Amino acid sequence: MITRRALLANGAKVAVGTVYYGTLVSFLTGCGSSSDDDTDTDKPIVEVLPGGLMVVNPVMCVGCRRCEIACSWSHGKSAVSPSTARIKVAKNLNFGPHGVQDNYEDQRGEQGDGTIVPSTCRQCDVCMTVCPQEAISINETTGARVVNDSLCVGCGYCADKCPQQVITIDKITRKSLKCDLCEGNPNCAQVCPTGAIKFYTWEDAVAEVELHEKYLALV
Amino acid sequence: MSNKFGGWAGYVLRVNLTTGLITKETTETYHDYIGGMGIGYKVLWDNHADGIKATDEENRLVISAGPLSGSGAICSARTTITSRNPVIRNHLITDGHFGGHFSPELKFAGYDAIIVEGKSPTPVWLRIEDDKVTLEPADSLWGVGIFDTFATISKLMGQQAQVAAIGPGGENLVAQSTIQTQGGHSAGGHGSVLGSKKLKAIGIIGTGTVDIAESTTNEQLRALDDHILGIIGANNNGVVPNQPQSWAEYSSTTSRWRGGPGVTWGAADTPVILEETPWDDRQKVAMRTSMAESYFGREEANKIFKRPGGCHSCPIRCFCEIKNPKMKTEYKLPTENITNVCLGFLDPWYAMGKPSHGEKRTDIQTVGGYYMDNFGIWSAYGQLSHVMREFTARSFWEILLPADEFAAINWAQYADLDAHFMQDFYTRIAYGASYEGSNILGRTLGRGLHNFINDDGELYHLEDILNEVESPRMAGLTFALESDEHYEFYGKAYSVFLDSHLKVFNRSMVGGVHHASESAGQVGALLNTVFNRDPQCHSHINLINCGLPWAKIAEVAESMWGPGAFDPVKHYTAMNTSKAKFAKWCLVKNVLHDSLTLCNWMFPLLVSPDVEKDYLGDSSIESQMFSLVTGVKTTEQELDDKAETVLQLHRALTVLQMNEPNQRDNHDVLAEWVYDLDSDKAFGDEGTIKMDRDDIQVGLDMFYAEMGWDNATGVPTRATLEKFKLGYVADKLEGLGLLPA
Repeated sequence: MITRRALLANGAKVAVGTVYYGTLVSFLTGCGSSSDDDTDTDKPIVEVLPGGLMVVNPVMCVGCRRCEIACSWSHGKSAVSPSTARIKVAKNLNFGPHGVQDNYEDQRGEQGDGTIVPSTCRQCDVCMTVCPQEAISINETTGARVVNDSLCVGCGYCADKCPQQVITIDKITRKSLKCDLCEGNPNCAQVCPTGAIKFYTWEDAVAEVELHEKYLALV
Repeated sequence: MSNKFGGWAGYVLRVNLTTGLITKETTETYHDYIGGMGIGYKVLWDNHADGIKATDEENRLVISAGPLSGSGAICSARTTITSRNPVIRNHLITDGHFGGHFSPELKFAGYDAIIVEGKSPTPVWLRIEDDKVTLEPADSLWGVGIFDTFATISKLMGQQAQVAAIGPGGENLVAQSTIQTQGGHSAGGHGSVLGSKKLKAIGIIGTGTVDIAESTTNEQLRALDDHILGIIGANNNGVVPNQPQSWAEYSSTTSRWRGGPGVTWGAADTPVILEETPWDDRQKVAMRTSMAESYFGREEANKIFKRPGGCHSCPIRCFCEIKNPKMKTEYKLPTENITNVCLGFLDPWYAMGKPSHGEKRTDIQTVGGYYMDNFGIWSAYGQLSHVMREFTARSFWEILLPADEFAAINWAQYADLDAHFMQDFYTRIAYGASYEGSNILGRTLGRGLHNFINDDGELYHLEDILNEVESPRMAGLTFALESDEHYEFYGKAYSVFLDSHLKVFNRSMVGGVHHASESAGQVGALLNTVFNRDPQCHSHINLINCGLPWAKIAEVAESMWGPGAFDPVKHYTAMNTSKAKFAKWCLVKNVLHDSLTLCNWMFPLLVSPDVEKDYLGDSSIESQMFSLVTGVKTTEQELDDKAETVLQLHRALTVLQMNEPNQRDNHDVLAEWVYDLDSDKAFGDEGTIKMDRDDIQVGLDMFYAEMGWDNATGVPTRATLEKFKLGYVADKLEGLGLLPA
């Protein structure tokens, strides 16, 4: 078992093809487990595939939302909206991940300390696991968990259970909208004017995820 | 969806605060006027009433987006606010703008504009959640600062709400007040209009989309985005770096491309060291502008600059996110962070006498900026602070204020450049008569200079004006500084039109200078004559301050408008038709951007950083964007013609509101200092920006000819109005005797 601590301390590798679970998976995917118990079958698990995940560095994010726009432009009908973007900047933009607090001036967000903490899909398996239609599957090339529109019925289970709250249901098509990694060349990263959002391999993501997690806490 | 076009949301929201009635109407009524400013001017024309004041119930205020807002087009998140403006003589119509994320959210909610009319009996705020639009009680918000207003409404609606609000300045009917949206973005001059209507704020959540025309593919949108990124520079389209960089053939101190070696986002949790910012590195675009070092100096900026910021869809990021811990520890503010740009930081600095870079200046700009924004005070492009600084330097306040008020102001703090002064200063302006006794200083600065001067620019006794005395006394001020001797003013009656430091440019409107004769000579001067406030026009600045050598800029200018369009800096030649064409082009593009709504601080892009393109840009990008987003295939000229329709309507409405058929003599008049400064130099000498009276009259002749305006009066002719489908405007003006024969 590779724990987050062990990984960080020993520089251990996250190998392609390995099934991980426990703290490391929780850490990388934000699935919320704190258990290192390998026998706990309720813990989130993830199979590491080629490709990786998108993570935003909140130090570098300048809040332009071009990532949201490029995401909207890149999928299906050209209808721009934070609602149809698979990356979510607006939801933490003004007051940070915990919304308006009494001490909002000290919290994250444009009205707080100026730090913007966008949310991205970490390609965990939660949405895939909870989908009653089995409409979400793994793209073996990119590792992205992708929605099959012909199977999706827009029930919203995936959106409700998403640990990052980055899945939405399109109001018009009633289909689930989740990050598909743009076939391995994500448009959000291409248009970011500071390189704040990047596509990381699982291994390289560790440090970035840890940095991102730091900004999710109340200040 | 009823809207068959891309871009436009399809509906305009009309909110009557008197009746509480909220209705929707189609945007298609306004398509000939593009959107944004065009909607604002059409609504004000259609609802014109003679002689009303900005704060009268009959006045309307329009908050409008354009067809590009929210579409993702680069730099397309401006919001235009149009109404009569109390800072302007006769309360003529003006349009102000803010950026941020408000207009995209308005579009996502399904609306292109909000028309606010009437007056609520009690304070209210407008809540918009897609189709659900309600007026909510705002009694508990009345008197609350802007920042807490944003927080309170966001708590009620959810933090994804985009909120615009007025502060105590607008509530107290202070003319120099703003409407602001979160992140320090403010539109000047109309805060008191909302205050008079008792509308504290608007909160919007839009969960819909801005649709792009069905004929447009995603690949086309990305291709145009990439094309723009290949020619866009830094703020104001500076296309060469401010300091030498190894990749750049040129560098120039006029360029706002300030990011480069030595620049650090030092207040970031992990400081970011920029190094070089090559033009073709798409993931350093947001590092180019780094304007903090311009406002604070490099040493200070590298300590307090956290990151750049700005508006939805803009990669350039002209705003500065600043962290100054002393705001909290020493000045007892609730935050140590502030974001703003330009006058948001410069107005406090001007007011305090323009101290040099250093910690004291940093404190003045951050603390002063906080109070300005929290109270919702408008600088009128620095005019407010110019008056404060100049009257202090001239010891006028000692004469103008009652003795006890003068004694109560902490002038020692002012002299010591102590930023604690900022609290009292901006509070005086925001609270007017309800603050600290007579408060002549705050009431005067907040009301707008035009109220306090006669036709010669001489000041009345301030209290007589504030007390509405029928025959006010004159203040009897004289020029008495040593430096006045140089200009042979010493001992003469003081006039704001003679004082070059006050920068009153348009004599009749008492409007401030904004990239006028100091920028491109007669071109800047002419475009500052037409608008009722400073025109906020950067069309020319984006070319002339791009940083390329003068010869290259002159070559581009000549190719666009003819020989002699752009003179060497501070070495002006006589007026010519090329300059008139240049001036008209600047205004048309300005109006186009305020209608689309696109940033005129970034567009147009006549030049680029790309040596392979011979540094040339592309002036047709706006029409390419418009065509792709709306699906209405429109050439650059066709779109410019639509913008000119709005510009012609702007002029006609000014004629109607002034009830004045002679704009030439009663609107387009410059202050004396423009012609009289640098007494040892003549117009045309190297090193001076002074204009010549006869030459400017020639300039008006040529400009009117380009605009299709009557030469004698400067009023659009019937032929011109009809050319732009404004026959109904001609009919109305003719019926009132306001149309040239």
